[in-house]
Amino acid sequence: MAIPPISARPMGGTGPIARPTMAPTGGQPAAGQTGATDEAGFGKAIADALGSVQETHQVADGLAQQAATGQLENVHDYMIAATQAQLATELTVAVRNKALESFNEIMRMQV
Amino acid sequence: MSMFGAISTAHSGLQVHRTWLDATSDNIANLNTVRSTDEPAFQARYVMAQAVEGAGARVAGVEYGSAEGRLAHQPDHPLADADGMVRLPDMDMGSQMTSLMLAQRGYQANLSVVETARDAYRAALQLGRS
Repeated sequence: MAIPPISARPMGGTGPIARPTMAPTGGQPAAGQTGATDEAGFGKAIADALGSVQETHQVADGLAQQAATGQLENVHDYMIAATQAQLATELTVAVRNKALESFNEIMRMQV
Repeated sequence: MSMFGAISTAHSGLQVHRTWLDATSDNIANLNTVRSTDEPAFQARYVMAQAVEGAGARVAGVEYGSAEGRLAHQPDHPLADADGMVRLPDMDMGSQMTSLMLAQRGYQANLSVVETARDAYRAALQLGRS
């Protein structure tokens, strides 16, 4: 989330009429306008990643079901889907752990 | 899935080799299929593989061997014609067994690509882990 510099904040009585909204900061949408609609943050990135991980798992689950009911045509189809789902999960977990590690490091920072 | 490109590419190779294995096993099963001379012989199946730009291979189609086959003199055979001739498929066991081995080895090679790629991706995930 972009934090507008202090100078961009409208000050009463200084110079021409200040706009009521905060000035955009270098192409980024102003902080007050984003709200909860298009929050392009870490949370959204992780949520998107988890969504695609879930998709790979659904593919693997469907194939596992086919294997159990004897409809699976190719054994390697399931093994590859399962491997991809596993790798995608491991990747997401690794990214989450890294981010959490960074966050904790910042929280421990002495000011 | 483009994130695991090597695995998807190997998957396409597995598909091609599996189709080839199936076709070869069908050919071997019909090595001694006898037909009468007024029928076409059993036609061997040959899988046509085709490269996909940057994404492995695919089965472009299946071609069939000679319908003429070869004529053999087997007068005792129930299907033999007046001259005692029958029609046998025009393929030999040696070349079909070679195809079978090539298909099997190709399948195994693609499987080991999957394993190697998986290990490589997993090693990348260990980067910087203390």
